[in-house]
Amino acid sequence: MKQKRLVIRTIILLVMFIAIGYTFYNHFSEERGLVDQGDIAPNFAVEDLDGNYLELADLQGKGVYVNFWATWCSYCRDKMEYLTEYYTVYQEKGVEIVSVNFNERAGIVERHMERYNYNFPLYLDEQRLVSNAYGVVSLPTSFLIDENGVVIERAVGGKSETQVVAALEKLIPSN
Amino acid sequence: MEKVKCDCGHVNPYGTYLCESCGKPLLDDNQSLADMRYEGVARRSQTYSKSVVDKVWNFFSSVKVGIWIIVLILLASMLGTIFPQEMYIPAGERASTYYEQEYGVLGKLYYQLGLHTMYSSWWYMLLIASLGISLVICSLDRVVPLHRALKTQRVTRHKGFLSRQKLFSKTEKMEEPEKSIEKAEKVLKEKHYRIFKEDGNILAEKGRFARWGPYVNHVGLIIFLIGAMLRFFPEMYIDEHIWVREGEQVVIRGTDGEYFLRNDEFIVELYDEEDERFRESFERTGGNPVVKTFQTSATLLKRINNEGPIGLGTEFEEIMQYDIRVNDPLTFDGYSLYQVDYKLNELSEFTFTLQRNEDSSEEDLSDIQFTVDLFNPELVYEFENGYRVEIFQYFPNFYINDQKEPDTLNRIPDNPRIIFEVFTPEMNPDTDRGELSLVGVQVNEALNGDNNYRIRMIDVDMNHVTALTVRRDRTLPILIVGGVIFMIGLVQGSYWYHRRIWLQNRDGEIWVAGHTNKNWHGLKKDFETITKNTAIPMPLDQTDDWNLIEEVEGVKGKDDSSTSK
Repeated sequence: MKQKRLVIRTIILLVMFIAIGYTFYNHFSEERGLVDQGDIAPNFAVEDLDGNYLELADLQGKGVYVNFWATWCSYCRDKMEYLTEYYTVYQEKGVEIVSVNFNERAGIVERHMERYNYNFPLYLDEQRLVSNAYGVVSLPTSFLIDENGVVIERAVGGKSETQVVAALEKLIPSN
Repeated sequence: MEKVKCDCGHVNPYGTYLCESCGKPLLDDNQSLADMRYEGVARRSQTYSKSVVDKVWNFFSSVKVGIWIIVLILLASMLGTIFPQEMYIPAGERASTYYEQEYGVLGKLYYQLGLHTMYSSWWYMLLIASLGISLVICSLDRVVPLHRALKTQRVTRHKGFLSRQKLFSKTEKMEEPEKSIEKAEKVLKEKHYRIFKEDGNILAEKGRFARWGPYVNHVGLIIFLIGAMLRFFPEMYIDEHIWVREGEQVVIRGTDGEYFLRNDEFIVELYDEEDERFRESFERTGGNPVVKTFQTSATLLKRINNEGPIGLGTEFEEIMQYDIRVNDPLTFDGYSLYQVDYKLNELSEFTFTLQRNEDSSEEDLSDIQFTVDLFNPELVYEFENGYRVEIFQYFPNFYINDQKEPDTLNRIPDNPRIIFEVFTPEMNPDTDRGELSLVGVQVNEALNGDNNYRIRMIDVDMNHVTALTVRRDRTLPILIVGGVIFMIGLVQGSYWYHRRIWLQNRDGEIWVAGHTNKNWHGLKKDFETITKNTAIPMPLDQTDDWNLIEEVEGVKGKDDSSTSK
């Protein structure tokens, strides 16, 4: 009888604590992105300023650093400065940088490109189809995608040069 | 923790005040009247405290704790209303500065204590969660033993139980007590009492159902809280916000990129200031325009699900067109789009012309007119007479950044500045540097020396922007069910009374006792009817000093006093 009572009490308390705990976890934990670590990166197709077509799936076998940015975002500019510096070095090691603009038109991006002289192509996402599918809500947001197309990290916010290099280093394909 | 066996043979749990079956007082509490709360059953919580589970259980089982939780919630909720919550401060204001600016030191403190987002803070949520736990455990801990006690109650009660009821009396030895009891039974039946008989004694009971009212009420409240809890899950509840410019198509947030909305046209109607009928009202608003209605003519689109990649090549199909107005949302697939706000006259296009600075110009440049789309500017404008204007740089929302460089805050043309480069027919745009000028609203500066040409703004086009709330609320049915059950419980507990009357034949004496959970006056009236029709006397109210029942009879309020002295 006492045993039964204890079991019933434990079950009721557990159910309530788990429900409440899960709600708290869901509400307060750092929000998991729509696309996040461990997910298969959704395939997307974009065009750069010169009209060159790129599909993520075509980069299978390489590490891919997908960076969402905008011309008005100063943290993005800092980050892209570092990326410009290391682009060719890591391209030789099998890491591609895919810079996807967030919601701006070609003309604006083109002038920005001229002003800052990035050496990697800038892809457009005027209707935010790609950034939306990737759950991008603040800039810059980067996705580190390994050679098998799996997201190994979702990085939100400004990054230092060391952090950017460390991220690129992680992306070097193992074979 | 021994069980207690009563003289009548019933085995009661430890901590029982009154035997669940015959009602014999088991604990000597030195009170002249029996404590009838919860039928004198053992509330488990108050008697066992062994393992951690029991201790936690007992903590939440205490009504005292429950009341404290409610008091704390009330106080906290009051705190949250002193200044507006963050979501109600004017759009664009930063909470970190707004509260101090607006409310001074107290405002700063309010912000620092996190009271500006209090209702979603961990501690407030924890309080509400504790209330939920307290409700469940308090109710379970009381309703289970109460239900058992009322189910196992015997007709023949212990003398100690009867004599310690609030309403009690007994007669002298009388002739044929059975007859009186039989008569009383008839009277009580007419009053819709349920009669239970045993050895010539009767128990008349009605409205036991009312005793479950509070628990039904609590079940409703718990369902309501569960509904509120589910709002934290996007599957159940989405509350998002989108801004859509006229002519623009945006993804509807919260729909996983499946639905898109195009703003075909946005209109605002104002009340006619000339109209006599509105004159008084306009005087009150100080002559400011008053919005009559605003509406977004929108087209809902859905992404066609092809297996290809996201982005390029995405196709849309139009689902429907709808005029969204306040309180007239566009509803689709469980989502609703509500009209909530708008921004009028956002800059969208500038039209310019080129002029020579010297008046002596023979050249006619008035043919040179071009329009710059401030969201999607063309970079080069070429004209038949060989002139060429290029956009050298464009800043939709101009400011000078930390590095002392011109920059833009965002992509919205709230303060657009364009640097134009002008090439005359003689110049080669690939090798020569044209005249540069920075042009904006009320701004026109030459950047590389004195300019021969001036770019003059001749027209401005503006656009309206609509703000819509995206909402999906699947918790509403749960909240409604909870609310309805809550009300049923409330009515059940308020409009019915649980009355019991015991009439017992003890060796020729008739023992009369009565109990009700509320409205003692009503119970006394029932006794009066018995007294009128039989030889059974009116029971005395033992809480009245001097037993002056006759004199207080009919005086309301006195009758409702509690059982304890």
